[in-house]
Amino acid sequence: MDINYILTGMLTGFGVLVFAFVWQTSLSGITRKVVGRFHKRYGPKWYQEFRDIFKAMSKRGITHGWVYDFGVMMALGGIMATVMFMPVVTFVAFGQLDNFFIYVYLFAVGMLGMAMSAVGSGNPLAGIGVMRALTQMVGYEVPFMVIVLAIIFRDGTSSLSGIAAIQQTGGILTWNLVKMPIGTIVGFICLLGMLGKKPFETFIAPAEIASGPMVEYGGKQLGMLMIMHQFATFIEISLFINLFLGGATNIVFFIIKYMIIYILASLISQAFGRFKIDQVIKYFYRWPIVLAILQAGLVVWGRIG
Amino acid sequence: MNSMNNNVADLVKDVEARFNVLSVDYPKDDQVSFDFDNRDLHSALSYLRSAGWIQLSILSCIDWIDENEFQLVYIIFNWENPIRIQVRTRIDRKEAKFRTITSIYPGAKYYERDVHEFFGVEFEGNPDSNKQLFLENWDDMPPLRKDFDSIAYSDSKYPKREYKTDFSKKAGDK
Amino acid sequence: MSKEIKKVEKPEKIKKGWDGISNYFRANSIWMLMYCTGCCAIELPQAMTSRYDMERLGMGPMATPRQADVILVTGYLSVKTLRRVIYAYEQMSEPKYLVAFGPCAINGGIYYDSHAVIKQLDQYLPIDIYIAGCMPKPEAVMNGFKDLIEMIKSKKATGWRKYRDNNAWYKANQIHALGEVRIKDEFHE
Repeated sequence: MDINYILTGMLTGFGVLVFAFVWQTSLSGITRKVVGRFHKRYGPKWYQEFRDIFKAMSKRGITHGWVYDFGVMMALGGIMATVMFMPVVTFVAFGQLDNFFIYVYLFAVGMLGMAMSAVGSGNPLAGIGVMRALTQMVGYEVPFMVIVLAIIFRDGTSSLSGIAAIQQTGGILTWNLVKMPIGTIVGFICLLGMLGKKPFETFIAPAEIASGPMVEYGGKQLGMLMIMHQFATFIEISLFINLFLGGATNIVFFIIKYMIIYILASLISQAFGRFKIDQVIKYFYRWPIVLAILQAGLVVWGRIG
Repeated sequence: MNSMNNNVADLVKDVEARFNVLSVDYPKDDQVSFDFDNRDLHSALSYLRSAGWIQLSILSCIDWIDENEFQLVYIIFNWENPIRIQVRTRIDRKEAKFRTITSIYPGAKYYERDVHEFFGVEFEGNPDSNKQLFLENWDDMPPLRKDFDSIAYSDSKYPKREYKTDFSKKAGDK
Repeated sequence: MSKEIKKVEKPEKIKKGWDGISNYFRANSIWMLMYCTGCCAIELPQAMTSRYDMERLGMGPMATPRQADVILVTGYLSVKTLRRVIYAYEQMSEPKYLVAFGPCAINGGIYYDSHAVIKQLDQYLPIDIYIAGCMPKPEAVMNGFKDLIEMIKSKKATGWRKYRDNNAWYKANQIHALGEVRIKDEFHE
């Protein structure tokens, strides 16, 4: 580990961080405008999310104790660390360290931080929201893991940039979207669960449990949570692009793929109501798991795809 | 319509045969109102409940200040035979007491607290009759009585706005 | 001596600049807590949906008082509701604003002779802007929101500072009308 490696790694990491924040926040605003046009109205401006975040950071909030403050910082720090490892196009911050399992573990740090600070705020609704979020995680992780383990088994590498590189060897026909279509559909459904979009919006549930874990946040903690939410969305969608859509050779293609996936997810979420938490688990443990096991069987034993 | 009138007529005949009805009135086509004496009310309500009028829609009270009496009105409803019955009785205004009907209709618990808070009628047998339900920290006489001066109370507790110009005159008036 | 004076001046300029930027952000992204007190709340869904879209001004509904910037007092305030509105207003994080709809917050409106409806809201809570009409049409509501945005940008919406500085006067008025502000009721024990 020489100093050059670490320094270039950190610089690339910061570059990825800044790109992720600026791009994802702008895309949130653009998506709000698209959804507004879907409803036959003008939406807000495309930079509205920036104004929301900076307004939240400029308010004077209250504090419920050090667990509450520390939890938010831990969540934000964990998610920022995860973003730095994500390969974007050809920029990989730390060469051999963009393993798939790093994301699984570091994501848990973010969730744990939010759970800690939600419980530290003392409101029972926050506890309910956190319980629902973790239950939903149990739901969507299992089919997703089955599909990704099948991909890792077939490709022989668990490094994200390696998987992306294997998909880029033959043009569009070698993407996992074409080789494993059932797996991509299951992956997309699990992506909707990860993003927290309707119908899997149970853990925020604005009118039911008064926005779940975020019920006691005002001011700066809310701003930090919003930034964390943008980073988490970036990680999830980049993961989907690298695993199933063949990464990207060019920043323009990355942006186009990202936009298509995110706007498609938002438009689908506008057409649904919200599931209850037992319906979420029942849904994930029916067809997605069956299809995931079927696809894994085809890949591992049938050698198709 | 004919069947409805037959139903109403049958009902009135039935009730008049069993109880001592003071008067019968027909406010609308599918509504009947019976006036009973204080002692007959509970048995009449029990009979009507067992005959199918299982829902107590509301219990309300009318203040006849000139006759010095309160009139309690129970409105009950039947889902199979859709006739709305008003069961009425008069009680004394100075010593407003009545026995509770929560043994017949358990939901009357809250209606009786309502009438107690707003009119001052005491229902014996209702355990929560003194807990506040609608009015919090109330410090005056029961507000829906006719001798309660609402404007004077309101002006004393919630001061009116002082206007510097008189907006009640139209433009062009002197 | 001159060194100390310089040190005092610099924070003022930075503070003013920072306030100018913050007011731009606060004016263009207002989150509202819809405390639908009375009848005027019927006019809010019209302002939020497709025809008179409120989201293009940057406003959106939020679920809890802690996350909201503006509390919309739509309609008459009975004594019980006023206690809860005060409770919600004190939970909001500063800077916060209050918009009152209709004449009921000015002089009691059509409920002026009731035993349980207060007559002047600005004796108990500081109000930034009133919107006229009984009830105000959605065009009037949107106009009122635009005026609120102008007020925030020009630093005139300082109701929360008035509440903080004159807290004793507001509290005395509240106790005269309400008796007690925090009350235990049997459904929230």
